[in-house]
Amino acid sequence: MKLRVTETTYAGTVIDLRTRAVDGKAIAASIRGQRTLPIVSCPEPPSVYAYAGHVHPSMGLRTRTALAAAARSLGHETPQDDAIADCRERLAELDCSTPDLPEPVDPVSDVTIDGLQEAVATHRGRLTARRAVGADDGAVQADLRDAAMELSERETRRAAARETRELRREQARAYRDTLEERRRLSDELANRRRCARATLVDRLSDAFSQAIATVPGSVPDNPFDADPVTAALAVLRVARTPAPVVLETDRFSSPTAASDCLDAPLVRC
Amino acid sequence: MLLVVTYSRTARTDLRNICRAHEDCVVRQFGRAALFSGTEFGAFQALRLYEKHGLDVQIERVEPFEPSDVPEHVRKAAESYEAREEPATPYKRFASGRDLPDPDQLRGVDL
Repeated sequence: MKLRVTETTYAGTVIDLRTRAVDGKAIAASIRGQRTLPIVSCPEPPSVYAYAGHVHPSMGLRTRTALAAAARSLGHETPQDDAIADCRERLAELDCSTPDLPEPVDPVSDVTIDGLQEAVATHRGRLTARRAVGADDGAVQADLRDAAMELSERETRRAAARETRELRREQARAYRDTLEERRRLSDELANRRRCARATLVDRLSDAFSQAIATVPGSVPDNPFDADPVTAALAVLRVARTPAPVVLETDRFSSPTAASDCLDAPLVRC
Repeated sequence: MLLVVTYSRTARTDLRNICRAHEDCVVRQFGRAALFSGTEFGAFQALRLYEKHGLDVQIERVEPFEPSDVPEHVRKAAESYEAREEPATPYKRFASGRDLPDPDQLRGVDL
């Protein structure tokens, strides 16, 4: 590994930066590729580094999750892996963007239409009556035309309102179907991941217990009850650790002793 | 009545809060859905959720239902099927040969 802090470049398996005012968190982030400075060149860290890559007294640790990641670093696979990948893929393919529904059109009531139909019929009756007696029918004709026009307009609006309503319902339903599918897939993914994690933890639990007993720190009855620092050290000891671990604890007599115990390149801050 | 169904976690939380605060307009609450009373106040509460969460909230009008609202042959079909002696018989097979409607026939008819 190579590490550059301000003007100085450090190289080697163990780098001691205790005399430099360097933030361990920043170095750990650089190692994981989440920061560009300080510049660290080292092999790519496996996912276990996201949990245990930076060991310091105020850390927390989801021990089982970290141990499962350690198992992954060793190349362990589970029967759930294919299904997990499949779930992820299907989730990524889902388009859950909210559709833009067409603007609603105010409905036209049946009463309005009935009234207009009645008006048209009345005008038509009057027109027939006037024609029968040979009276002037100009005004009645105009009334009939107006009423018929309004009726036709309202009927068109009513049809448009119905159509828009149907369209809005269809699109909303399709969107909610997608949300349901996403919910179902997310549940399935979570279940399978839990299952895979349990399998991985189970496979490494003996090695983990031994590691808890080996790394410095108190040894509880149940290894999973170990304090976060002890647990993180044990997880690292079990995991494959090609990238440097950032250590901010006095548990070891020297950085070299820590590197030997964890079998990992190390930056001591 | 109004059926209010939520499709996101935040909408679900708000539905739960409304149910807690306005019991008077809630007929029944299920996990992520609730039945609001068919009043303007029920609609007001439902619309509040819709305003805030958009399509993540679905509102449907629900009508009261009684078995007698359904045609006689449908009721008779349900009644005799549930009284069958062979529990494993699917309805389609049960119906054929008896004076009962075929399931496909039932599917094609709106209530």
